Amino acid sequence: MANFFSAIPITRPILIALVIGGLGGMAFMTFLLEFDRYTSSNEFCTSCHSMTFMEDEYRKSVHYNPVSGVRAECGDCHVSAGIFAATWDHIKGGKDLWKQFFGANYDDPVISALHLPEAAFATRHWFRETESATCQRCHVLEAIQGKRADTAAIHREETAGKSCIDCHENLVHRPVPSQETFKREAWNQMIEEEFGLEPGAAEKLLAKL
Amino acid sequence: MPGSPIQSRALTGLGLLFLCLASPLWAAKVTLDPSNWGHAAGEACVNCHTKSSAGLAQEWRESAHAKAGVNCMDCHQAQAVDPDAIKHEGEIIATIVSPKDCARCHETEFKEQQGSVHAEAYSLIKERIPAMAANLTGPAVQAAGCDQCHGSKVKVKGDGTLDPETWPNSGIGRINPDGSKGSCSSCHGRHLFAKAQAREPEACARCHSGPDSPDAEIFAASKHGMLFSSQRHRMNLDAPQWVAGKDYTAAPTCATCHMGAAGKLPSTHDVGMRNAWALNAPVSQRQYLVLLEDGGKLEIPAGSPVPKRGEEIAKLDGGLTKVKSVVTPERRREAMSLVCLECHSKPFTQGFMRQFDNLVELFDVKFAIPAKGIMADLYAGGYLTPLPFDEPIEFTYWELWHDEGARARHGASMASPNHAWWEGMYLVSRNFYGKFLPEVRQEAGSEAQAIIDQHLTEDAGHGWLDAPDQANAILGFGTHYGPPASQAGSGGDR
Repeated sequence: MANFFSAIPITRPILIALVIGGLGGMAFMTFLLEFDRYTSSNEFCTSCHSMTFMEDEYRKSVHYNPVSGVRAECGDCHVSAGIFAATWDHIKGGKDLWKQFFGANYDDPVISALHLPEAAFATRHWFRETESATCQRCHVLEAIQGKRADTAAIHREETAGKSCIDCHENLVHRPVPSQETFKREAWNQMIEEEFGLEPGAAEKLLAKL
Repeated sequence: MPGSPIQSRALTGLGLLFLCLASPLWAAKVTLDPSNWGHAAGEACVNCHTKSSAGLAQEWRESAHAKAGVNCMDCHQAQAVDPDAIKHEGEIIATIVSPKDCARCHETEFKEQQGSVHAEAYSLIKERIPAMAANLTGPAVQAAGCDQCHGSKVKVKGDGTLDPETWPNSGIGRINPDGSKGSCSSCHGRHLFAKAQAREPEACARCHSGPDSPDAEIFAASKHGMLFSSQRHRMNLDAPQWVAGKDYTAAPTCATCHMGAAGKLPSTHDVGMRNAWALNAPVSQRQYLVLLEDGGKLEIPAGSPVPKRGEEIAKLDGGLTKVKSVVTPERRREAMSLVCLECHSKPFTQGFMRQFDNLVELFDVKFAIPAKGIMADLYAGGYLTPLPFDEPIEFTYWELWHDEGARARHGASMASPNHAWWEGMYLVSRNFYGKFLPEVRQEAGSEAQAIIDQHLTEDAGHGWLDAPDQANAILGFGTHYGPPASQAGSGGDR
């Protein structure tokens, strides 16, 4: 080893390059970590008005107000663990930012509600693909006891080949049907009734985009 | 002529033939090949539901369904396009199993039930709900009260969930998301679906009780009810076939007379088919049963013109269909009497029916028709606002026919003397003379007597009011128990 190092002359420029490279690498990783920490937080996510509609429902959920006191923030569920996977998720998430600026007016609660089902389908798809990995940051299958007598037995015996999302959906945000049984007309009608819109208004709003 | 006697007789003949062909036994045996059920995905449901809802799973396990291999998916399967379809553990299912779903195997019962007075129970009161549930109380009452018996119009929300304003509900006239009417589980409780429980009078008691139609109480107070409770062990309630006079003889239950097979009379799931009268109306009328081309049914008062076969006719829900055949009230009475004849002689049966009819006619002629006429005059004369229940007399009139009036008529129909009289006609007369007429005088003032006199004719049985000096010992005064003549005389001078 000594031979190897002694073979390369540690010249001044190399030393500077090593120091800068090392410091730069540390700074970059620190940036990624800090970037992930900050962009996974509730404060960052809800700094877009459109996300406050998601927040309203989240605040009513058990994930916001658990008896254990362990609160799950946006990123705990929606951003993968591990800095590289997390960074990749944030990059993918950039398309939401793009849509926020150049897409439909998601800050309008009606537009937000009309588009919610597709967002839910995409998110469920992601949870299925990742085998609900983010849920399992906190929830450990073997440790699930539940309040009812058979909750533990169900999780022990009935979960082969399934991940959390296969049974548990509509836990936090506004309930959306499964993609297979979703009926756009019925959803539109519900939103129209909710916001006191004329029948057919939802379809027109969606067509505009 | 639409109502020519020969034609109508031919029609009723056809009608009765149709009724007789409807089903040969108590409940039609499912003749489908077992390959029609045993859904592959259904086996898996049970494992989890044994843990998550153990009671439900155990009830199913003990059911005839389980023994025949009918599993959860056979009943709960759905198509993704169904309005109430949901995805559950990878399968497309529906929470509500409607009569249409049951008809996948139980087609005969479905056909009989659709269009019956049970299936139409929601449509029958739909118009009254705003005045009762909404005005008098509030919308919360509809879900917890009215709809639990009459059925709700189940609303599937845009997010695929069932609107809690309309579900859970097992009212017998429920309008299901698939458009079918009724709820089999109203009588065949989930998830055992036993024949026996629907043959019990208790199956009917959830709704046929209380002030307006205390049929459970009436039955219990009748000789039939007394026999049933003392001879329950001889009722053979679990038998696959349950023909009165053959499979059991101890007593009839509600199901025996209104649905059950007896002798040559086939069973039916059209529970009102054998009823000659409309007993829950302000004024009772005998009813034609009109069988419709689309499988539905309609009741028409005996006084109105008889619709012709093939004629277009409007249904309760507003839809149009054609007349298939017409069954006269006499034929309906004959069908009911066939049940009686399994245990009683013809003169006994006819005598009983005569006593029943007489009471209904007495209620009509003496109280119902005059009270209705007086009310109509009060509305026409502007003494009452058109809004129901904003004047006390409207409660009095409502209860006169809807509560005590119905109790009296039901009491006579099912042989409970207590309900025919004390709970029925006694209260009708007390409230008519003691409350209704005084309230008429209050509302119409000096015009009241003229209005009353127009409707209270002597031949309707009100002449006794014109003889105020006719004493009777009933109150402890008068000829038998009365005070000495000297005191009575001084009292009279007062």
